[in-house]
Amino acid sequence: MSIMQHNGGSVIAMVGKDCVAIASDLRLGVQSLSISSNFEKIFPVTERLYVGFPGLATDVTTLREVFRYRVNMYTIKEERAIEPTIFTQLVSSTLYERRFGPYFIEPVIAGLQKTPSGSYEPFIAATDLIGCINFAKDFVVAGTASEKLFGVAEGLWEPGLEPEDLFETISQTLMNAVDRDAFSGWGAIVHVITKDKVITRKLKGRMD
Amino acid sequence: MAATSAYNSPGFDFSNTYRNQFLADRGVPLPKATSTGTTIVGCLFKDGIVLGADTRATEGPIVADKNCEKIHFISDNIRCCGAGTAADTEFTTALISSNIEMHALTTGRKPRVVTAMTMLKQMLFRYQGNIGAALVLGGVDITGPQLFTIHPHGSTDKLPYVTMGSGSLAAMAIFESQWKPDMEREEALHLVTLAISAGIFNDLGSGSNVDACVITASGTEMLRNFVKPNERVEKERRYVFRRGTTAIKEEKVRRWVVDEEEVTPVGGEEMDTS
Amino acid sequence: MDVSFALTGKGYVLVAADTTAAHSIIKVKSDVDKIKELSPHLLMAYSGEPGDTVQFAEYIERNIRLYQIRNTYGLRPQSAASWIRRSLAESLRSRHPYSVNLLLGGYDVSTYTPHLYWVDYLGTLAEVPFAAHGYGSYFALSLLDRYHDPEASLEEGIATLRRCIDEVAKRLVVSPGKYLVKVVDKDGTRVIEI
Repeated sequence: MSIMQHNGGSVIAMVGKDCVAIASDLRLGVQSLSISSNFEKIFPVTERLYVGFPGLATDVTTLREVFRYRVNMYTIKEERAIEPTIFTQLVSSTLYERRFGPYFIEPVIAGLQKTPSGSYEPFIAATDLIGCINFAKDFVVAGTASEKLFGVAEGLWEPGLEPEDLFETISQTLMNAVDRDAFSGWGAIVHVITKDKVITRKLKGRMD
Repeated sequence: MAATSAYNSPGFDFSNTYRNQFLADRGVPLPKATSTGTTIVGCLFKDGIVLGADTRATEGPIVADKNCEKIHFISDNIRCCGAGTAADTEFTTALISSNIEMHALTTGRKPRVVTAMTMLKQMLFRYQGNIGAALVLGGVDITGPQLFTIHPHGSTDKLPYVTMGSGSLAAMAIFESQWKPDMEREEALHLVTLAISAGIFNDLGSGSNVDACVITASGTEMLRNFVKPNERVEKERRYVFRRGTTAIKEEKVRRWVVDEEEVTPVGGEEMDTS
Repeated sequence: MDVSFALTGKGYVLVAADTTAAHSIIKVKSDVDKIKELSPHLLMAYSGEPGDTVQFAEYIERNIRLYQIRNTYGLRPQSAASWIRRSLAESLRSRHPYSVNLLLGGYDVSTYTPHLYWVDYLGTLAEVPFAAHGYGSYFALSLLDRYHDPEASLEEGIATLRRCIDEVAKRLVVSPGKYLVKVVDKDGTRVIEI
C-alpha cells in the first residue's frame, strides 16, 4: 500500500454562486486501524481562505506549521492579507522545492479572491504532491477517496449553487464517496465561505 | 530546520529524502510523481510556427483536469509546449522564461529561440532526466521561424514538424501524410488541429480541447480552446438536494465585517469644561 | 512487543505501560518504568526501538525541564505535544531517525482540563479521548470505544483500564505480565496500584 494511503483521508472543494465550500472527513488511521475520529485536515489561512491537506498525517501537521509561518511572514512584509491566487503559488513553489524529496500531501485550496472593484469572486485550486496546480472552475478533490469523489461530484455539481444548496451538494458528495472508501470517513466537516461569513458544520454520518 | 529560517536558499531542498528513503526501506512504496499523457505538436509554415496541444491532465487512469494549459509562455515571440511530469514542465518553462527576460534586458536584444533551447537543454541535461519535461519549443526571432523538441535527458532536434507526448505517434501520422513546405497560415493551423485531434481521439492520455498558438514575425496569437470537440452537454435534470437533507451535529458561524460606516455622534455627551 | 494504553476521564489521564524489557526472545527485566514524568503535570509513555526509546525520552525530559528552568513556567500539554512531535518529525529527516511511539497524558493547570495525545514515530500527532500503542491496541481500542466515558471517575477509569489489560492478557499470544499505571490530575502525577 502506498504511503499516500497510510493515514487515510480525503478533501473536496466546490464553487458556488459568490461562495465556495471545502469539506473533509475526520478519520486518522494507521493502515486499517483507526486512531482518531476527530482529526481535522482543513485549516483557515485568512478570513476567507481555507486549505486542506489530505495525505500523510505527519506532513499535514508539518505543512500546516510551514504555511502558518510563511503566511505570517508574507502578512508582516506586505502589510496585507494573502490572496488565494498568491497563496496557491506559495503552496506550489513550497512543494516543488522538494521535487526530489516530497511531502506526501495533495493540498486543496478554497477561498474568495478580492477583485480590483472590491467584490469577491470564488476561487478553488488543488495541486499534486510536487506542486502542479490544477485551477478548476467547478470542483477539486484529493485523498484516498479522490476517484469516488470525482465520480459523485461530476454527477451532482452544477453551476450557480447558493450557499445552502452548495452545502447540501458538497456534503452529499463527500459522504457518499467516503462511504465507498475504506480509509476515509468517520465523521465529516464542511466549511462554506461567503463574503460576510464562514459556516462550519460537522456532519452526522456513518461511523464504520 | 529550513522552515524556521527566514532565508530560503534557491534550488531544490533535499531534506525530506532521508525520511522518504527510511519509509521506502520499511516496505512502503513511494508514490510516483504525477505524469501526464499528452499530445503536443509544432509545425513550420511560410511565415512562422504553429504550436498545438491538447488540454487533458491525468493522474494514472484518472482525468485530473479536463481543460489545462500546456502551451507555456517563454517570451513575446517564443512559446513552449510541455509533456511529461506536469509540475516539471510548468516550473522549468517558468524558470527559463524568467532567465530569458533577464537575458533580453541584459543584452538589449529580442530573445532568440536557440537561446531558450540551449538554456532548457543545459538544465535538463544537468538533472540527467530526473526532471521529466519533454518540450516542443517554437518561436520567431531575428533568424526567422525556429522549431525544436527537447527531450528530458537534454537532447534536442530541429525539424520542420514535430510531435511529443503519448499521442505523438498519432499526431506524427497526420504530419507525415499531410505536411508540405511553405503552407499558408490557415492551412498550417488546420493541419495542427488535425494532428492534435488525432491525439485526442486515438490516445487515451490525451483529450478534451485543442489549444493552438500561431507565432509570426508580426506577432503571437494564442488560440486558447481553438476547437472544442468534446463539449459537455447541459444536464437534462438537476440534482439539487432539498435543503436540510444532510444531518448536522454541530454548527459554528463566523461573521466578518464587510462594510464599515463611521458614525460621528452628534449631540452626544458634552465635553466636561467646568 | 511493548504495549501501552491511556485514557482520559473527569479531570485526569490514566497512562499504563508494560514493564518488560526484552532482548530478542529473552525477557531480561520485568520492572522497567516506561512512563516518564516530564513535568509535574505531564506523563509520557514511550515504546519502540530499544535504545532509541530511552535516548529520546531522556532528551525530551531534559529539554522540557530546561524550558521550565529558563522560563519559570513549564509548557502546557498542547505546547509540549507540539514540540515533541516536531522533534520526532525533524529526527525523521536525519540519517538516523528515532523510532519511538508516544502517549502523552497531561493536565492543563490553566484550563483545568486533561489532555491526551497519540504520537507515532512518523511525527503524527492527534489529540484523542483514549489511545494505545503496540499489539495491545488491536484489542484495547475496540474495548475503549465501547466502555470509555470522558466523565468517568478515577475508579471507573481504572476499571476500564483493567478490562483492557485483562483482554490483552487473555487474547494476545506474547502478552506482557506486568503493567505500571500512572495518573495525572490536578494534584500532579502518581503511580497507581492495580
